[in-house]
Amino acid sequence: MHSAINTAGPRAHEIAELMTLFTAVCAVVYLIVIGVLIWALLRKRARARLASEAEREIADRKARHVITWATALTVLILITLGLSDFFVQRSLFTPPKDPLRVLITGHQYWWEIEYDHPDPSQRLRTANELHIPTGKPVELVLTSRDVIHSFWLPSISGKKDLIPGRVNTEVLIADKPGLYTGQCAEFCGLQHAKMRLVLHADSPEDFEKWRQQQLQPGREPATDTERRGRTVFTSTSCVLCHSVQGTDASATVGPDLTHIASRGTIAAGTLPNTPDNLAAWILAPHRMKPGVQMPATPLPPDDLGALTKYLASLQ
Amino acid sequence: MHAGRQRRLPRVTALLAILFAIVSVTALAEDRDAQWPMPAGDFANTRFSRLEEVTPANVGSLKLSFSFSTGLLRGHEAAPIVTTDTMYIVTPYPNVLFALALDKPGAPLKWKYEPKPRASSQGVACCDTVNRGAAYDAGRIFFNTLDGQTVAVDANDGHELWRAQLGDITHGESMTMAPLVVKDKVLVGNSGGEFGVRGWLTALDARTGHQVWRAYSTGPDSEVLIGKDFKPFYSQERGTDLGVKSWPGDAWKRGGGTVWGWISYDPGLNLIFYGTANPGPWNPEQRPGDNKWTAGVFARDPDTGAAKWFYQYNPHDSNDYDGVNENVVIDLEIGGRMRKVFAHPDRNGYLYVVDRETGEVLSATPFVNVNTISSIDLKTGRPNRVQDKEPVVGRVIRNMCPHAGGGKDWQPSAWSPITRLLYIPHQNLCQDEEVVPANYIAGTPYVGANVKMHAGEGGHRGLFTAWDVAAGRAVWQIKENFPVWSGALATAGGVVFYGTMEGWFKAVDARTGKLLWQFKAGSGIIGQPISYRGPDGKQYIAVLSGVGGWAGGIVAGNLDARDVSAGNGWGGLMSDLPDNTRQGGMLYVFALP
Amino acid sequence: MSLRCPEVTLAVLLFAALAGCHREERRFSESLPASTPLDSVVQSDIRPGGTPLPHQPDFIYETNAYAVSQGKQLYEWFNCKGCHADGGGAIGPALMDDQWIYGDSPQNLYATIVEGRPNGMPSFGGKIPPQQIWQIVAYVRSLAGQVRKDVDTSRADHLFTRKSEQSMASTEPRASSPPPQPQ
Repeated sequence: MHSAINTAGPRAHEIAELMTLFTAVCAVVYLIVIGVLIWALLRKRARARLASEAEREIADRKARHVITWATALTVLILITLGLSDFFVQRSLFTPPKDPLRVLITGHQYWWEIEYDHPDPSQRLRTANELHIPTGKPVELVLTSRDVIHSFWLPSISGKKDLIPGRVNTEVLIADKPGLYTGQCAEFCGLQHAKMRLVLHADSPEDFEKWRQQQLQPGREPATDTERRGRTVFTSTSCVLCHSVQGTDASATVGPDLTHIASRGTIAAGTLPNTPDNLAAWILAPHRMKPGVQMPATPLPPDDLGALTKYLASLQ
Repeated sequence: MHAGRQRRLPRVTALLAILFAIVSVTALAEDRDAQWPMPAGDFANTRFSRLEEVTPANVGSLKLSFSFSTGLLRGHEAAPIVTTDTMYIVTPYPNVLFALALDKPGAPLKWKYEPKPRASSQGVACCDTVNRGAAYDAGRIFFNTLDGQTVAVDANDGHELWRAQLGDITHGESMTMAPLVVKDKVLVGNSGGEFGVRGWLTALDARTGHQVWRAYSTGPDSEVLIGKDFKPFYSQERGTDLGVKSWPGDAWKRGGGTVWGWISYDPGLNLIFYGTANPGPWNPEQRPGDNKWTAGVFARDPDTGAAKWFYQYNPHDSNDYDGVNENVVIDLEIGGRMRKVFAHPDRNGYLYVVDRETGEVLSATPFVNVNTISSIDLKTGRPNRVQDKEPVVGRVIRNMCPHAGGGKDWQPSAWSPITRLLYIPHQNLCQDEEVVPANYIAGTPYVGANVKMHAGEGGHRGLFTAWDVAAGRAVWQIKENFPVWSGALATAGGVVFYGTMEGWFKAVDARTGKLLWQFKAGSGIIGQPISYRGPDGKQYIAVLSGVGGWAGGIVAGNLDARDVSAGNGWGGLMSDLPDNTRQGGMLYVFALP
Repeated sequence: MSLRCPEVTLAVLLFAALAGCHREERRFSESLPASTPLDSVVQSDIRPGGTPLPHQPDFIYETNAYAVSQGKQLYEWFNCKGCHADGGGAIGPALMDDQWIYGDSPQNLYATIVEGRPNGMPSFGGKIPPQQIWQIVAYVRSLAGQVRKDVDTSRADHLFTRKSEQSMASTEPRASSPPPQPQ
């Protein structure tokens, strides 16, 4: 789901309702104003035919009435709209009680995600795919590593910028389980349009299962091809940017790949996570996302195949 | 008649045995004064010489007896080691061991031993390619090489006895510390906290070089050698596998806590004391949690390595305040009774007095200006950190005092049991710091901080302080232009020696701090001065000159001071050092005429 | 012919536009030669027999602003900064001065990064892809003032450690001896 009108969470719902109210009221006001304008244009001819002073006075008094009532109505409408906005903002900005905290750092052009926890060994790092339990408020702590990005899951919440050197917060609450997508909403460079976000709202039990699985180190390779793939991973350029917990690879300038195979998409939500796409992405990312930071990694076909198998095994 | 003679014989033998024992003990004690078998002087790390020949009255006439050029240009941090007639020096990379014959005029070279460490190890030495010295025990000389080997060499003729490859330079691990030999075990630790190395202390059998035990500084209890004997004083150190749980994910594998500093030993309690270095990376946001067991002090049983207690000076350290500084074993009267303690001037600028039986902090007093920590809570043992000075990604924190090198870095202090003062060579420095995310690539630096250093209040960069440990205050203090990066030596004659980075080797009165004598060496002094009685019976004072080390990198490495962050932030601070001294390793030995 | 002549003006504008075009070009994938031909990489400035040195090919990366700024980012990401600081040096030698131990030409720098050097410079060949190495080479040359001012990076949004690459004076490179290895 990817729509600001078709909402799936109370916060997006509130924003959508506010938007509907404003649109409706402004539409009505617009129609009235246009109607009156047309009427005024037509009526001008009739006014010119009035002869006496007295008749003109009556007409003026009528006009003053109308203006007074229209002004009063406008003020009333503005106060109503203002108050609606105030109440919605108050609700949106109230810090949630006991939220699940998730730290999101924006990069060109991917999302770094870290789940906070008072016990440091229970913290968890992943990228691009966010999982949250339904019904529980999730507080996102947003910052950026390079330029200004903006976090937007239209069906769940409003936009909030990720600004380098600054920390913003946003709250997500999902009503029901489902898959929701979003994307970067502040122009951040060549691949801004392909900096997508995927949200899985899981039931609390499913979320806990996912969380426990993500806390495990990277799965040990089971076959020779997978072992060869891991050797390719650790001996070529991959380890300069990526990490797989349980190996020596612990670089953080690129997405964490410890559980890459558990994600439905790669390249920040733009490509389905299939072995073919993975291989194509590793060989030449610029064919799909020109301007992305990941360089082309030309590998002999056997090595590429083994590497893809290894990555596909990292559930 | 036979019975009577038989009864007399045992008594005579016993008397003779006792006499012999007394004579040999005194002889050994006398012998001990003729020697300086380990850089710290003794197990307690006092760096105190019992020789009394040189006094404040006559030190003015101290003159150069002989010198020896090592032929090398990097920082010379070692202490010369002396046995009855031989002096041993370990140089910076390539870690040549020179043996000089003290019983011949001019102390000619007897032999040299070249371990030939790998040249690439120079690329993983964070703070110059230094070595802090060798140790002598039972006819063997032990020292470490930059590429992570511990070597044992015959003290007589220099032939190699064994070598053990302990460190892996491909993961940024090196070795620079001076070993300590306790009960036939050679205790050695690694370096590399700035490379994401996992710290350890290893005990090797002095005869064979085989590993007896290894205690890691992070990770599960089984690897940190924490077992049922572990009884830390403070509750924050209690729990299982804290070396894993106080780190996110597997960050403890790259967590630092290296053991590159000083080890002291109390034979009475049979405990060794040593500190662990900073957690890695410097950027604290990448490792939330207390980061056990870094930046703290361990008390261990030297036979098995089992930890008896631990105290963390700086939980979740965010300032590179390593815990590796010396723990000087002394007995102090506190609150009306004698306590077994040690004195520890920490990087964080506080001088700790710690009960060495239990690990309780009895006092912690700042010996420099500190604005990163407001006080140490003696009930919990935790430092109260100043929020404004906490490094945060995306922000530049200004004027953090003391700087990353601390109120005092590795340079060891000396204790005089006569004056009851601790003579501390140190610095007065602050810094501006910006932490950034560090990217881990094995074998490359893993720091995540941009640093700019500057002098603290007063403008003088160095200090030499005489500290009354019992009273918790400075008795006298000498300001120096450059950080005092050399070790200190205290003598029973009442003279204290230290060296400056411009090259002045100074003798000051132990009670008043008055400058009594000085000598301008060829290069800045960052070595550890020692004293010994030569074969001719005279008292000699020896020190290595040869500027470098972390503070002197701008000269040793020929750095460009236009980048003030050169050398981890020393570049801008020490841009005038090249005008004051050049490179060049030289041993200087002095005596009275 | 004065500047008021329309043909000259047009020619000047066209030239400026083309030069600007090259400076701004973003080439994301490059078909590069597999390795640098050995006979054009030299570390000495003297040749026997009086023959001139081989011609050094133009280095297209150091006239491209995108390549230099990418090089700056990679210089930090791949920890060059950890050993060489912001050009002042630390564990490794200073890169912003005029002393070059292993040659200063782009080909020399490429070889240094790929091969490593005996006294601690790691070998990054096979680890950093060639195009990224060239970008780092372009940036390193800008640290020593060897890159045109309009292509140089300007002041970074970081703790101020030195003047920006753009304001640094250009230096005449000179060969310096490697650190001595006494035995």
